[in-house]
Amino acid sequence: MRAHAWLLCLPLAGLLALFGGDYHLRFAAEILITGTAVMSLDILVGQGRLVSLGHAALFGGAAYVSALLAIHAGAGLMPVLLAGIATGMLLALVMGLVATRSVDLFFLILTLVVGQMVYELAFHWRTVTGGADGLRGIPALALHLGGASWPMSGARSLFLLAAGLALLAYLLARSFLAAPIGRALVASREQPVRLAALGYEVRRLRLLAMVFAGGIAGAAGALYPFVNLYVGPNLVHWSMSATMIVMLVLGGVGTLHGAFVGTGLYLLVQTYLSSFTDRWQLLIGLLFVLIVIFLPDGIVRPGWRRRQA
Amino acid sequence: MRPNLLTRRGVLLGTAGVALAAHCGAPAVARSEPLRIGLLTSLSGPFTSLGESMRAGLELLIADAGGQMGGRPVELLVEDDGGKPEEGLRKVRKLIAQDGIDVLGGVISAGVALAIRDVVTEAGLPTFISNASANALAREAASPLVFRPTKTSWMLGHTGALWTFQNIAKDGGLTVGADYAAGREYIGDFVQTFQEQGGSVGTQLWTPLGTTDFSPILTTIAAEQPSFVYAFFAGADAVRFLQQMQEYQLQDLVKLIGPGALFDQEDVVPAAGSAALGGINTFQQSPTAPAAHGFVEAYRAARGRLPGEASTAGYVTGQVIRAGLEAVAGDPSDRERFRQALLEQPIETVIGPMRFDPRNNQAVLDIYVNELVAGPDGQPLNTVVHTYAGVQDPGPAG
Repeated sequence: MRAHAWLLCLPLAGLLALFGGDYHLRFAAEILITGTAVMSLDILVGQGRLVSLGHAALFGGAAYVSALLAIHAGAGLMPVLLAGIATGMLLALVMGLVATRSVDLFFLILTLVVGQMVYELAFHWRTVTGGADGLRGIPALALHLGGASWPMSGARSLFLLAAGLALLAYLLARSFLAAPIGRALVASREQPVRLAALGYEVRRLRLLAMVFAGGIAGAAGALYPFVNLYVGPNLVHWSMSATMIVMLVLGGVGTLHGAFVGTGLYLLVQTYLSSFTDRWQLLIGLLFVLIVIFLPDGIVRPGWRRRQA
Repeated sequence: MRPNLLTRRGVLLGTAGVALAAHCGAPAVARSEPLRIGLLTSLSGPFTSLGESMRAGLELLIADAGGQMGGRPVELLVEDDGGKPEEGLRKVRKLIAQDGIDVLGGVISAGVALAIRDVVTEAGLPTFISNASANALAREAASPLVFRPTKTSWMLGHTGALWTFQNIAKDGGLTVGADYAAGREYIGDFVQTFQEQGGSVGTQLWTPLGTTDFSPILTTIAAEQPSFVYAFFAGADAVRFLQQMQEYQLQDLVKLIGPGALFDQEDVVPAAGSAALGGINTFQQSPTAPAAHGFVEAYRAARGRLPGEASTAGYVTGQVIRAGLEAVAGDPSDRERFRQALLEQPIETVIGPMRFDPRNNQAVLDIYVNELVAGPDGQPLNTVVHTYAGVQDPGPAG
């Protein structure tokens, strides 16, 4: 990973923050927040080969908790973020305890099942989650520090908040992967038996990675309700997890920053192409196939490396 | 690292940057230009056929109006919400900020309607909910600029209960419904009114949305021999339910009644065929309602089939927007004046006379009781047997 590539993003973000309109800023905030969650999935998929179909449950579960705290307790930025991180980690812990018993297909199925339990809860616990209608009437976000409080509801502050979150999460994820635990995670992907022979507990390692990724997804989820002022059960449905995987593959698995590119590409295509054609999903599918064939490492790593390998 | 990789990435980034810049620089929309109507509907996902019908209905009205409303040319911008609230929200923000629409119409799904409510309210955008029936939008979630030129769930469940109580049976019936927000509302409002009338309802059965096999429910119905079944299903679920009722030979034994979606003339009846015969529904529209006369022929000429709820809703939404615009000489920018114009005058639409309740901007409508009888071509036809005039939702206090 070369630093200059993503350093380019900083001036771009600055320009957007200065000159972007309300709509574009909010859209960019949504890309950054969703992208952060997709990036946390990349830690699992890209480094640990733990393909989870339950990641949206962590992201969306945190979004529900955050929205409920804001609606019923008027919680500000800090409590909402902390609660989101805690929710993401807790759900990831539960999901991990169930799913790390196995790998590959069964891991996928187990994460799907746990994720769908969260969905069922969101869909059927009408008195709390609003059921199919979702949660509405979310108050504007504010930061309370000491006695003072700053409103954070404007599109510009939301964007800056999302950009800060994305940057922080990215740096955290990088240092996690550079640390011994991250190297061990990669080793668990390549040589799980040898790693176990070296004395590592592979299952515990995977569980820790899941909880870490869950924390990041939870932090992103905590901010998500404030972008749209709405949270609905689609957000925790397994199909959202699948969409996140598509975003990740589009951008580039195992690169971290590719998650943001893939998320941006997917949402842009979804929002703009669908204005011109009813068949935009076909185009997303074609794009997906073309990228998998010609750019197997995603659009942030052009080339044929995997074929040559 | 090969140097050409960097260039290629540079090209990609550059292209993205240029696209972004061009995008940000899009000019603001001048208000003297054509009137822009946004239509948010479902052109992918579970409500695709309804969304396409709704678009066709609105396009027909705009064509009938000669492409003009209140003296201004009309430009229609259609966006797909995929039946998902998050996508709908994104599209509404785009329509508002980037396309600069003057009014918004459409919305099939109640979830989308409730999700966009805060955004359009904040933006002060006159919005017309064409199809979604969630009671909440006429009650706690009512908004001064969100009009709903269609029914609430209560208006159909309530009238269904009145008709059943007076004409079918006072007890011994059961209900069956798709287990999601709309199903809960229709069935709940039916049961409530039925009990208020002094009747009693037996077992309440629920099935998940998208059920393919109704046999557990049908065997219960066959065993209980109820005096009536009040059912709510829509689209493909409704078709399958009606067909399986026929296969179980329950169609002639049990009186089936439901909200109009169960026997939608466009979305359900052609696929269900003779399985729909004999059913009763309460609905705000009917192809045999006198008010629908010219519209039904025009729609059949355009699309080769009878209009159902979604297409009629698209047309009616257009009629209401046109009536409002004509009252303000084509300029809705004074929101309060536009609102007052819509509230003051009753509008003649193809579903009958319509006026808006000033408490919640909810349409007060005639509700038709339709019976499915064989039409001239032998196919089941929703035929009006009774009209409940001026049905009004209980509103915010209710």
